[in-house]
Amino acid sequence: MTATAAPSVRVDARGLTDVGKKRKANEDHFVVMALRKSADVLETSLPDPRVLDALRGPEGWLFVVADGVGGLAGGALASETAVTTLAEYLGRAAGCFNRLDADGEQELLEQLEHAVHSAHRRITELYGGGGGRNAPAGPATTLTMALLVWPRAYIVHVGDSRAFYMRKGRLRQLTRDQTTGEYMVSSGAWTEEQASKAPIATTLVSALGGQEMTPSVGLVDLLPGDTLLLCSDGLTRHVSDERVAELLGRPTDAGTACRELVDEALAGGGHDNITVITARLHAGPGV
Amino acid sequence: MIQKKVCMVCVFGTGKTSLVQRFVHSLFSERYLSTVGVKIDRKPLDLDGTPLTLVLWDLAGRDSHEDITTSYLKGAHAILYVADGTRKETCDQLPELRALAREAAGEVPDLLALNKTDLTDQWKLGRGDEEELAGAWDVVRTSAKTGAGVEEVFQRLGRALLAPREARS
Repeated sequence: MTATAAPSVRVDARGLTDVGKKRKANEDHFVVMALRKSADVLETSLPDPRVLDALRGPEGWLFVVADGVGGLAGGALASETAVTTLAEYLGRAAGCFNRLDADGEQELLEQLEHAVHSAHRRITELYGGGGGRNAPAGPATTLTMALLVWPRAYIVHVGDSRAFYMRKGRLRQLTRDQTTGEYMVSSGAWTEEQASKAPIATTLVSALGGQEMTPSVGLVDLLPGDTLLLCSDGLTRHVSDERVAELLGRPTDAGTACRELVDEALAGGGHDNITVITARLHAGPGV
Repeated sequence: MIQKKVCMVCVFGTGKTSLVQRFVHSLFSERYLSTVGVKIDRKPLDLDGTPLTLVLWDLAGRDSHEDITTSYLKGAHAILYVADGTRKETCDQLPELRALAREAAGEVPDLLALNKTDLTDQWKLGRGDEEELAGAWDVVRTSAKTGAGVEEVFQRLGRALLAPREARS
């Protein structure tokens, strides 16, 4: 999917998911959406109606990766519900993203968090779970979302899927895993080494549909030439950051980059479902 | 509910993110993880019965590769600068950072957290240095590790934000 998001950038964004080599079903879901205002010129007396073409371009892009929690029934339902709810919610909000001032931006950040809370509620209402520490576990899902309103990418994150961006060959992780291991190391209770050996280190401490759900919010201003990457842990458990940077550094289109990343994870073992979204941000339309 | 955007600005490695962690989540870790982009946290305060939510924008620190991205500062209602008392050079860059921030955000209330006061044996600022800083800044000495001064930083910023504009100067 390629379109002009602003006069100075062309977004080439694609997603790909694969069941992997060990799992029987794919519990991951993703969406890549261009958020548009509807403004089609049907008739005009203007000598050059092309001046209105800019009104038809996307005003934002939404990228979402959700990884249904393995081992719990209905993980695929949870991730599907999360992605659907986010897409519906933010699709309806399209038209509000351009010309954001400081107050508007604050409102947008709250809307994004609200969208995630809505998805969490819908999952718990539909499938149970989320009822507190002693409630029975229901299906749950991670969720990593980026809303790109050029040049700013707003990130909302729950769980251990990840968002990165790459600039001039340097890959930077935008999210921190919401896992027991990360939490224990952050609180100073464990060392990195202890976390690497603890079987419960990868257990999620926050998930949609889970008993705890605490979205983490951030943002980054991007530049033409940058690449945005969202992925489930089926990629990162098999492919090092260095190798990801190497693959993304190739001059490929977004679809090829997704294919190469997924293939690399499969070659590394493919123990989990693998989902990636890449968005290449090219300088200027037609470049 | 009153919400105010507070941007946190510093040279890398001064413990800015640890201050937020301590203030918002009551956590501290020795582990250093540099901030990428901006991390946003919210902290509700009750200032003498007036509810106020600080929306904390934790900006990536300035380092040798990247400067502060000033576009993040637009619309800030206050700026919190963080310097590391064990690295005097982090204080030396403060005037330049303040000039950059004022260009983007205007003359908004600001405050300097002089962090890592727990590292007394590594402290590099003499009495003269701290007096000089106090002449130019509203300074609070802090330790994200022990929690000393952390609550005070955000309480003082909150009060400055609620104060009438003429009372700030």
